[in-house]
Amino acid sequence: MRDFLRKAGNIDRRVIYLIIFLAVALTILFKIRFKSTPLPEVKRSYEIINSLPAGSVVMFSIDYDASSMPELDPMLRAMLRHCFEKNLKVIMLGHWPLGLPLGQIALEDVARQYHKKYGVDYVFLGYRPGLQAVMLNLGKEIRSVFSTDYRGTPLDSLPMMRGVHNYNDIAILVGLEAGSVGDMWVQFANARFNQKIILGSTAVITPDLYPYLQAGQIVGLIGGLRGASDYEELVNHPAIASAGMASQTVVHVLIILLILLGNIGYFATRRGK
Amino acid sequence: MKREIPLFITFITGVLLVIALFVPHKPFGQLQQTFNDWLIIVGGFTMILGLDSLLLHNWEKIKRKKEGWISSAFLIASFFITLFWGFGEGAIAHRSPFDPSATFLRYFYTYVFVPLQATMFSLLAFFIASAAYRAFRAKDGNSTLLLSAAALVMLGRVPAGQEVAPWIFAFVLLLLAYYFFKEGSKTTGTQKTLYLIGALVSILLIYPVFYILLHYLNGIADWIMNIPQMAAKRGIWIGISLGGIAMSLRIILGVEKTYLQ
Repeated sequence: MRDFLRKAGNIDRRVIYLIIFLAVALTILFKIRFKSTPLPEVKRSYEIINSLPAGSVVMFSIDYDASSMPELDPMLRAMLRHCFEKNLKVIMLGHWPLGLPLGQIALEDVARQYHKKYGVDYVFLGYRPGLQAVMLNLGKEIRSVFSTDYRGTPLDSLPMMRGVHNYNDIAILVGLEAGSVGDMWVQFANARFNQKIILGSTAVITPDLYPYLQAGQIVGLIGGLRGASDYEELVNHPAIASAGMASQTVVHVLIILLILLGNIGYFATRRGK
Repeated sequence: MKREIPLFITFITGVLLVIALFVPHKPFGQLQQTFNDWLIIVGGFTMILGLDSLLLHNWEKIKRKKEGWISSAFLIASFFITLFWGFGEGAIAHRSPFDPSATFLRYFYTYVFVPLQATMFSLLAFFIASAAYRAFRAKDGNSTLLLSAAALVMLGRVPAGQEVAPWIFAFVLLLLAYYFFKEGSKTTGTQKTLYLIGALVSILLIYPVFYILLHYLNGIADWIMNIPQMAAKRGIWIGISLGGIAMSLRIILGVEKTYLQ
């Protein structure tokens, strides 16, 4: 018995990798789903966007790349779906140049599904270096940073952009964050220009953003795959995040069981010594 | 002069920007805008510097046939292929290197870059699982507290966690009771009584813990995230911010000069 317990505390890492792989793959393959109640902060984000009148402008900032795509891409798609359903106008830019095309692909994909027209319903601005300087200048005049869109079309020749000059004309800024750009948005767009912000983030950095939510510096927070899955449920379009959430549930339970097994082995070995 | 001029520029820039923040009127308000424009331009040029050092570093590795020089060769080849093809097809034909409708870039980005980057990051799941299994040990009070909080949040933040968690925690309590009972049977006197009380308490706790977790796990996870977690984060952030202010002042006043090296 003691030998078995000792072995339980010393499982080969390759066995753990295999267990995790099977848990993720089988849950997705068998399309297992778990019902969940949306987190309050996600519901609040949904309600804020839902309450915007048609024609309001929502600015999306793509501050992630492919490494955080499984969490943030479904979030982006669910939010874009919500915006287009509500006939809101979308402006997209980003501070992670390597991830920005992901945002553009998602934007064009969802816009196509809702028959939205470029320049009328949505605009893609692209990337400018400078981070804080870009954020500050957006508060004064968008054209001082982005005189044209990503294709070189002057902003004034895009019907949607004619009345949009700075944060005053943007109802909500949605920052999708895999790093510290969200902090910058709070410091520069909210603190300096009082811009309403919803942050969507990877689960790793979500705890860092809770203080902003409690202090009212951001109005909504969508954290990790759970947040994305909740948003998909709220817009009645369960997709990849909901499927991933089932895998995540199984893996979380497995990790807890592994930790438990590790501790049993640890105590058995300690007693032996 | 090599040190004095940069220090002077830093001092003047720092002081002017601090004044501009508090006096948003002419000429200072305008200055902030000008500095922002300069920052964007300088930011663009820093990319060239980054590329220069990246290419030189990898070129040196290839030249000296250092360990991993093949990866460096791949890096340089990929860099130039992407650069020239990107300029040719993306920037000239489609007027944007970000345009995913550019065939090569779309192909390269979607089928090479994205899967590679996603794969690198997804490997973390395996390492985290293995590391959690090896490192999360209830060695003392603090680590047990950390372990319990982590388990509650991990289970409280996933659907069906509320249904699974009570069973896991009940099992842990049962194991604890068994452990106390087993240890108690080897001892005598007061120690034996204490072990048996421990076993009894563990058994008595099973039902209340099961009930609480079954009904309130999500609330408990939210409470951990919103109160203790947030208090710790706030403390850390306030400390970081004060440190940032102190460091900025040291740089502006020329006390901190390491950035010149």
